[in-house]
Amino acid sequence: MKKIMIGENIVKYFQVGHEKQNVLDGVSIEINEGEFVSVMGPSGSGKSTLLYALSGMDDINGGKVTFDGKDLSSLSEKELADIRRTKMGFVFQQPTLLKNLNILDNIILPAMRDNRKSAEKITKKARALMKKVGIAGLENRDITQVSGGQLQRAGICRALISNPEMIFGDEPTGALNSKTAQEMMDIISEINSEGTAIILVTHDAKVAARTDRIMFMRDGKIVNEMRLAKSSGTDMEDRTKKVMAKMREIGI
Amino acid sequence: MYFRIIRNDISKSKLITLTTMIFVVAAAMLVSLSAILVVNLSGAIDTLMKQAKTPHFMQMHSGAIDTVRLADFAEQNSNVEGFQVVEFLNMDGAEIVIDGTSLAESVQDNGFSTQNEKFDYLLDLDGNVIKVSDGEIYVPVVYMKDGTAKVGDKVEVSGKNFIVAGFLRDSQMNSSLSSSKRFLVSKNDYEEIKSLGSMEYLIEFRLKDLSSLSAFETAYTSAGLEANGPTVTYKLFKMMNALSDGMMIAIVLLVSALVIAIALMCVRFTLLAKIEEDYREIGVMKAIGLRVSDIKKMYLAKYTAIAAAGSILGYALSFVFKGMLLENIRLYMGESENSSYALLFAIIGILLVFLAIIAYVSGVLRRFRKISAAEAIRFGTSQEKTAGAKRFYLSANRMFHTNVFLGIKDALARKRLYATMLAVLAISTFIIIVPQNLYNTISSNSFIEYMGVGNYDLRIDLQKTDNISEKADEIVKTVDSDSVIERYTVMTTKLFKAKMEDGTEENIKIEIGDHSIFPIEYSKGRAPAGENEIALSALNADEMGKKVGDVITLVIGGKEKELTVSGIYSDITNGGKTAKAVFTDHSADIIWSVVCAKLSDSSLVDDKVSEYDNKFIFAKVSDIDEFVTQTFGSTISSVKKAMHVALAVAIMITALVTVLFMRMLVTKDRYSIAILKALGFTNRDISAQYVSRSVFVLMIGVVLGVFLANTLGEVLASAVISSFGALSFQFVTNPLSAYVWSPLLMICTVLIATLIGTASSGQIKISENIKGSL
Repeated sequence: MKKIMIGENIVKYFQVGHEKQNVLDGVSIEINEGEFVSVMGPSGSGKSTLLYALSGMDDINGGKVTFDGKDLSSLSEKELADIRRTKMGFVFQQPTLLKNLNILDNIILPAMRDNRKSAEKITKKARALMKKVGIAGLENRDITQVSGGQLQRAGICRALISNPEMIFGDEPTGALNSKTAQEMMDIISEINSEGTAIILVTHDAKVAARTDRIMFMRDGKIVNEMRLAKSSGTDMEDRTKKVMAKMREIGI
Repeated sequence: MYFRIIRNDISKSKLITLTTMIFVVAAAMLVSLSAILVVNLSGAIDTLMKQAKTPHFMQMHSGAIDTVRLADFAEQNSNVEGFQVVEFLNMDGAEIVIDGTSLAESVQDNGFSTQNEKFDYLLDLDGNVIKVSDGEIYVPVVYMKDGTAKVGDKVEVSGKNFIVAGFLRDSQMNSSLSSSKRFLVSKNDYEEIKSLGSMEYLIEFRLKDLSSLSAFETAYTSAGLEANGPTVTYKLFKMMNALSDGMMIAIVLLVSALVIAIALMCVRFTLLAKIEEDYREIGVMKAIGLRVSDIKKMYLAKYTAIAAAGSILGYALSFVFKGMLLENIRLYMGESENSSYALLFAIIGILLVFLAIIAYVSGVLRRFRKISAAEAIRFGTSQEKTAGAKRFYLSANRMFHTNVFLGIKDALARKRLYATMLAVLAISTFIIIVPQNLYNTISSNSFIEYMGVGNYDLRIDLQKTDNISEKADEIVKTVDSDSVIERYTVMTTKLFKAKMEDGTEENIKIEIGDHSIFPIEYSKGRAPAGENEIALSALNADEMGKKVGDVITLVIGGKEKELTVSGIYSDITNGGKTAKAVFTDHSADIIWSVVCAKLSDSSLVDDKVSEYDNKFIFAKVSDIDEFVTQTFGSTISSVKKAMHVALAVAIMITALVTVLFMRMLVTKDRYSIAILKALGFTNRDISAQYVSRSVFVLMIGVVLGVFLANTLGEVLASAVISSFGALSFQFVTNPLSAYVWSPLLMICTVLIATLIGTASSGQIKISENIKGSL
């Protein structure tokens, strides 16, 4: 299977006074097309930093990230932005919608950057996505007039508007109650089943249990990896138990 | 502790602190300067008029004079303190040659006098009464200012030579707006040249009680004494002296008011930016139980320090610049006796600026109360409500590029935030356009129509000569047959008596002729058309208490004639007290006649002026443009200077404020910028959005500024111009400059300033602003 993303020996540190604080300490990771990967680890383990490094949103101090065959460090700011806009989608922990725009405009924003002329087509697609995630009818609402769960769904629609090859999720269910979180994960899993690769960072074993592969991080390193192939059953409870057992095993 | 907070804060935000400081310094300096100028100007005028003992009442007169009768009148009038008849020897400009250059081009009535013995002294530049020796000449200070003469130059008057021994201040005729200028020579020399010019008398009185001046004027008129010429009173002398520097002070005052407004806005900007930056800390301070007043004190401390330092520096700077601005006042009027008051008033002015800033800061800081500790700690920024522009949807947008759309949408959604920038841009536009329009107005040909002068090319004055009527006929004959003259008219000014309501009679000079050929602007009503109509100059109408439609009774040849006031106009000529009518009269004496003519080709004016000047040696021929240049020239050039300075100041303010505002916005919007970047918007996209915001706000600001300039600006400018005697006027705009070049310049400035101000948006890291945890 074709690898859509390859991270090789990624190093990222923050300078604190004269000291270097390693956040990513030689992380290597590969993600295949259509794969569903999650990253788990305690707070401060570097999992979010890894996500931002892989998407090119954060500079790295060493190593290499290749996306779709292109070395991200060799790209200009504009080329990186182009890739983020057309081939990547992002879902964040907090709903990151712009205050000035209504829900619909927030969703279509990345696609409108280049294709203002096909606004009608884009809007039609946005409405279809909204229907799919269950927020049809909220198009003209301000972002202050809907719930956190609805905002997060709108965030997913925005991530999908440009048909990305890969979606990055930074604790996408972190701010939601468990019922809404489950619904969100249903949507995300469905998107993955349609062929979009997904990498997400989470604390939640239930969320990780939905993915094909789990990377465990500690102190800026990937310390373990767990495959949860489709064959390992569809019973979520069972899968979650397996993940938790693994976490206990490696002490996370 | 406060000192430490202030020091840390200033070292962290050098640029913003510096900018605020600059505006505070400028505001303090201008207020201090205005105070110093006002006190010095009024003081200097008073000092000059006191030292020179300016006459309280002066009647100019040409023709026969009965000095014995005048002396009798003075003796019998209990209010007269001093009386004298001064000779003023009018000399054709061509006869006066200073250092090889003749004054032929001068529109001033140049003449010679000797030093007076009782009052109306001509002073040297140190304020002393000049004692002039034979062979020496003292030249009016205006000729020193324009570089015509310097000490030691040779002056030739109809073949007799003098040496310039110095310059004189003339409390009556200093101003370029006064049409006569006195040269001072010794008694012996005066006797020698006496026969070369035409004699005019200045009948002068000093009164014991200045407040009963108008009663004295009436008494003079009723006595039927000599009155063949303009009458000028103490008040008018004072006004003439105050005008040109008064204009400058008016502009300085206007600019200082605007700079204070901008300084306050700047403080608001920086303060809001600072609050935005410190939002979380403020929340934390509130959460741990600090009182709002305690938190306020920390911020107030910094601005108190800035305001205090700025005020002191501004005060000091005003002393550096005051010399420059006082130069003209000092040259024309000398030092003021009470200049120490200037310092006091300057300090009061600066204290007001200081207090205004502190009060304003305290007012802005009131919003601390509204900050919710929980919200501030959670979000780190204010969760301001967005409003408006509901119908402006991206999904429905086909017109603008997405970046432009986002820029405009933001400006519309956060109106309150952009209101400050809008106000500054509108004020800047105002500062650019008003002086420009003022300059265009007073330098335009039609401006003189507001001043009581028609729009003709040349005028031939017959004054202070005999047989005016015959001479005028002779001129008319020539002019009428001259093919170059497109149209002309003859205006004859005669002296009549007007009956006042209390039964007394007053002199009134009426210009009789066809007033439709070279119309002037009437502030009220229209030109006289019928035999029984009369138009009054504003000064006359004011004094007589007449308005359009009122009736005036004239005494003509012993018979009473009733005339209706058809219009009121502004006039700067002949002391401002004139009237216009069309009736025919053969009874009254002619005081002067003017033949006004318009040429079919204006480029021939110079030739025509010299041709007629040679032909009619008994008349004074002037090019009207030259008249305007020499009368208003210095005013026009100072307004032009003010226009350039205003442009530079406005552009600087626009640039500074835009940079500052954009930096504040970028700080405030770092979260939204991070989102946009995460979504794949480039730094260029972000810049384009900010440029769209600022250009959009600028466009509204320019429209608003232009509107204000043409309404409020016109009112303000007319207040300044009305000091010249013009009552109402309309701006003459140069549309290309006012509506194309100036806005274009503003746009370029805002564009560059926005790019500079938002350059830091490129450094905003997505991860640092969005990421929840590492």
